[in-house]
Amino acid sequence: MADPTVVPTTPAQPPLIEGRGLTRIYPMGDSEVAALRGIDFRIELGENVAIIGPSGSGKSTLLHILGLLDRPTSGQYLFAGVDTDTLDDDRLALLRNRAIGFIFQSFNLVSGESALENVAAPLVYAGVKRKERVERAEEALARVGLTDRAHHDPSQLSGGQRQRVAIARALVTRPAVILADEPTGNLDSRSSADVFTLLQELQSEGLTLVTITHDQRIADRAARVLRVEDGMLVDHDAPEPTYLDDGRRLPEPTTAPATPPSGAVVVPPESGLAALGLADGDVS
Amino acid sequence: MTYVEALRLALRRLRTNLLRTALTTLGVIIGVASLVALIGVGEGTQAAITNQIAGLGTNLLSVNAGAATVGGVRGAAGSASTLTIADAGAIGSLDGVEAVAPEMSVSNVVVVNGRSNTTTSMTGTTPAEAQVRNYQVQAGTFLTDLDVEKGLRVAVLGPTTVTSLNTTPTAIIGQTVTVNGIPFTVIGVTQPKGGSGFTNPDDAVFAPITAVQSRFTGASSLRTIGVSLADPAQLAYVESEITALLRYRHQLATSASDDFSMVSQDQLLSVASTTTATIRNFLIGIAAIALVVGGIGIANTMLVSVRERVREIGTRKAIGARRRDISRQFLVEAVIVTLGGAVVGVLIGVAITGPVGATVGVPATPTLFGIILAFCSALLVGVLAGWWPARQASRLDPVEALRHE
Repeated sequence: MADPTVVPTTPAQPPLIEGRGLTRIYPMGDSEVAALRGIDFRIELGENVAIIGPSGSGKSTLLHILGLLDRPTSGQYLFAGVDTDTLDDDRLALLRNRAIGFIFQSFNLVSGESALENVAAPLVYAGVKRKERVERAEEALARVGLTDRAHHDPSQLSGGQRQRVAIARALVTRPAVILADEPTGNLDSRSSADVFTLLQELQSEGLTLVTITHDQRIADRAARVLRVEDGMLVDHDAPEPTYLDDGRRLPEPTTAPATPPSGAVVVPPESGLAALGLADGDVS
Repeated sequence: MTYVEALRLALRRLRTNLLRTALTTLGVIIGVASLVALIGVGEGTQAAITNQIAGLGTNLLSVNAGAATVGGVRGAAGSASTLTIADAGAIGSLDGVEAVAPEMSVSNVVVVNGRSNTTTSMTGTTPAEAQVRNYQVQAGTFLTDLDVEKGLRVAVLGPTTVTSLNTTPTAIIGQTVTVNGIPFTVIGVTQPKGGSGFTNPDDAVFAPITAVQSRFTGASSLRTIGVSLADPAQLAYVESEITALLRYRHQLATSASDDFSMVSQDQLLSVASTTTATIRNFLIGIAAIALVVGGIGIANTMLVSVRERVREIGTRKAIGARRRDISRQFLVEAVIVTLGGAVVGVLIGVAITGPVGATVGVPATPTLFGIILAFCSALLVGVLAGWWPARQASRLDPVEALRHE
């Protein structure tokens, strides 16, 4: 298991994310393709995890399952200790809304809606009143340094700015975890650096960050690297520094501070869904 | 997502796609506008025809000469000379009959006034015609008993006839016009009753029956006998009386069928209102088809819109939209487009009802019924058109949707 300093919680708390023997098999005509072939792992609150692997290794499929967008064919996926197999689609949507923030390679902002409206969109589904939505969206935009772009259409923003809007959208619901799928994949090196720095800052403030990446710097900064090959994890949970394909040694994992500084993202040290700010009635 | 949020979202979306929104809405606008206008015209037609028939005289019973059968072919009613002036006199003495007007018709007469002329039909009758057929004069007088008794060549013209002769009712009084070359002095012009077509009561020439008989027909056979009843409730009784009387007078055997027929104004009214209701429903049907086509246009646009926004749908699902949130978004969008079209369509429909009525010669006004019907139909069309695309959108698999190029 991870270094106890990584997780600012009591040992009794279930891990935020736990996969047990996850498989995902897609039917392909008459045959079947196994994208995931039995994956076990845990991610604790506040961790910084990178998922790496060659194209077609199944890492995107894994991220979709982690993000509750897809269900495993077999195996168990527990989110905050709750077996997600017992949750219907509406409850999965609710969890995605309240507990998970997504960041996509191609930003996936809705054009025709301003940056502010894009950022506020998750709050619409959360049933937050308009006034509060605007306040919180402005707050999130301020956090990513785009206050002056609030009323711009995504088409008027640069790639880096768009991805920062997307990050603000992921942050606005104060989720427990941010799942990022190649967040710097479509950005030039300078915007990449901005986005990268921003994500690391957020993580250091206590947010759990799971990133699929080809970006070596992100993998380097991750406390832990899950390497997916051929639908399986290799070098999983390696407790000590490990070596990459090129033989380079991974740096010491950085750890989250035991007490998150005051900020937008605070995860209370309670257990289960309550820790995510979800009343039991919301989900079960 | 509440409906208010869905509404906000839909309005933003529609604003960014103004041209498409406008074109999509056009189908609904046309459908709704034609519903409103055609219902207005339909109701107007019905009212006009009903008024026209009522204006022909109330409590009226027309006795028509029978159809002649020549060589086994039954001719039109009135083609046989079975009614006579004497028959009319006999009917006049029956119980419950208030007045009787014998009518002798000459069709396609040419009326000439100076350099102007017109073709119309001439009715030889008695002063009772005014009472039986509900005519009032606006200038001069109607026929008098003396005119009939003396067989004077005097005429009362309908207002349309006067207009056709390029003159005015007051100017033509006392003038001499010729009818098929025979001079008649104009003594009166009737009030307009409104109407058009083959049986326009305003396009007529009335002359003493005696003059028409001696100058035109030469015989004493009548086309019709107009009978006005003292009490409309006695219609059936008077009808049976007249039937018995005429059969007796015409010496018909028990086995022979009547050589005359009767039609009451009530019957005419009910036939006319059935006919006009059919016409109205036909018009509504055409407009409804236009509206349905408009609805198909909306469904089509919504489907295209869903296709275009697959990624957006995936993204919305990722950030927490449930199926019903997605379907509500698209459904509300479809209904907004439809209702927007309905509002514009109603305004246009209200504006064009009058002009459309005028082009077909009917005083038409938009009716509340038409507006409400058009609105409700549009709402229904919008919901139906949006339902399928909304369902398609809500059922998209989020992973597939996010991968969509």
